[in-house]
Amino acid sequence: MSTVQTPLDTADTATGGPRRAAAWSDAVAALALVALLVLGAATHRFYTFDNLRAVLTSASLVGIAALGLTLIVIAGTSVSLAISETASVCAMVFLATQSWGLVPSLLVTLAAGAAITALQGLAVGYGEANPIVLSIAAGFALVGVATWVTGGTSVAPHGAGYIHLNATPGGIASSVYVLVAFTVLLELLLRRSGFGRTLYLTGANRRAATAAGLAVGRTITIAWLLAGALFAVAASFSGAFNTTANINLGGTLTFDAIAAVLAGGTPIAGGSGSAVRTLCGAVLIAALSDVLLLRGYSTGAQVMVKGLIVLAIVVVVHLRSRQGAR
Amino acid sequence: MAALATGCSSSSSTAAGSSGAGNSGNAAGKTVDFIGYGDTNQWAAYFNGVFEKKLKAADVKLKDLTTMDAGTAVQNFNQAIADKPDLIVTALLDTKSMAVPIAKAKQAGVPVLVFDGRPDPKVDGDVLQVVSDNVALGKAAADNIIEGLKAQGRNSGNVVVVTGTASSLVTQDRMQGFSAEMATAPRYKVIETQDGNWDPTLSGQIATQLLAKHSCDGIQAAYGMADYMALPVIASAKQAGCAVGGKNGLIVTSSNCFKAGIDAIKQGTLYGTATEDPGTIANQTAAYVLKYLSGQNPPRKQTVKEERITAANVDQYAVQCSHA
Repeated sequence: MSTVQTPLDTADTATGGPRRAAAWSDAVAALALVALLVLGAATHRFYTFDNLRAVLTSASLVGIAALGLTLIVIAGTSVSLAISETASVCAMVFLATQSWGLVPSLLVTLAAGAAITALQGLAVGYGEANPIVLSIAAGFALVGVATWVTGGTSVAPHGAGYIHLNATPGGIASSVYVLVAFTVLLELLLRRSGFGRTLYLTGANRRAATAAGLAVGRTITIAWLLAGALFAVAASFSGAFNTTANINLGGTLTFDAIAAVLAGGTPIAGGSGSAVRTLCGAVLIAALSDVLLLRGYSTGAQVMVKGLIVLAIVVVVHLRSRQGAR
Repeated sequence: MAALATGCSSSSSTAAGSSGAGNSGNAAGKTVDFIGYGDTNQWAAYFNGVFEKKLKAADVKLKDLTTMDAGTAVQNFNQAIADKPDLIVTALLDTKSMAVPIAKAKQAGVPVLVFDGRPDPKVDGDVLQVVSDNVALGKAAADNIIEGLKAQGRNSGNVVVVTGTASSLVTQDRMQGFSAEMATAPRYKVIETQDGNWDPTLSGQIATQLLAKHSCDGIQAAYGMADYMALPVIASAKQAGCAVGGKNGLIVTSSNCFKAGIDAIKQGTLYGTATEDPGTIANQTAAYVLKYLSGQNPPRKQTVKEERITAANVDQYAVQCSHA
């Protein structure tokens, strides 16, 4: 897995905390990758174009949402536990507004996702609210509002514009191209912009960033706003793919996105990480699930392996990085 | 609507009671604690609306304890026992975890009516039941697949199944009916059965992977256990470049009809589905409750008749299936 040098990496402290975390996460990821490649070689049809396409398609929706989560994690604001609910609501908005045409519908959906998550970002950024507790509460609120508005029924589209999102140019799902494009854009934003540098510094040490006069509250709010917009992009593809949406559509997206970010090596403590890492994490998990399915393992086994990977990274990598920081 | 009496009425002190509401001949003023599925589920939202409307119209006092959380359902059930209503009406989010509370209700002399999925066999005789015919739903799915493949002139074919939660009795019963019917046409072979956990996104992901594993030529039919699981299977097939429906395309079938499924049948992408619609079972459950509360002593178990739906009769069921 490639190591991306972030602004914080270059200004690393003597303790080497984030760098040590990255080294350990790379080691774990490399181990998983080697195991995957060996297992894949011994698995019928793993190294085929059709299968590669399936892996990328499976990784794309989770990957796009995970890119948004990456911003929240780098900002040092832990994770959002309302990704599934936000995505569900956004998918409902996307399908409900199909009669307006594809582009207006997408814009409204992006605005909804950004607004829902930015409100939480405001509370976390300016009010120093606990992001875990806040996002759990936000998730409940979203479920309540969505159920009240729709009466619990599914939202079906009145218009066919959404079908364009299911297109497969060059035989690859359009969501895969969007994932790659957003990864590049986000990586550039993180590495080349003042916002990116401020985000890393805020995540590394919020108090120091505040003392240095950085716009910590605004930076965190923008990070959450962009994250919400990316959740909405994933939701639009999900809504288009499933044709209908209700509050349960998000399913396990929250956990899947967290797994992708952590598997990519972005430390949960913040201040480090990258979009490319998250992309790699999403693809790694999708490929592992795929190879297990090809070898005849059940869905339960796939979920278990995903859980074990996250557990290994959290326990081994992130606890190790805490030791290094002492 | 067919009702099957599978047990004899009992006068012993069971959770089901005999006609525990007494013989007043009128359900008005009787109390029901309702531990149904929560409104966040699209099927449940319509069921609850129909069921509650019917009971309130008969002046039955209904206490809403609905939830989609299995743990909360157990707590609510225990609370309902303490309330000592004339009847507890419950769905079973987790069949096993509800077995003990049902046994407690029996000890407390509070009658219990289970709707939709059947209870744990240990307490099967302790409750009244208005249940879906899940075996028939599975059989209908197999019939759709066999009929569809025959219509395409195929003498052989591979079938994949994306199920609801594998550990639930609903899924197991459907698979029992499905497998038994598929066995009557051994030239069509079920090559994969994966647990889709009633999750549309997961179902689509599984279908994508299965199509990559076997290729379009390696799968001729698919069974998604609900319409909202079959539609992502269709989307996956299209994204993989596989033909769907028609003379040579993938035959996709499902159960639990929804509006989107009916639309898909009309478009020719979904070969067929089956009922288990919330309106029918809600009406039947409400009718049962009113009979019981008015002392009419209905059969202890009623099974809702399920119907197979294809392009040939889709218009007949379009309204019935368009409420969720």
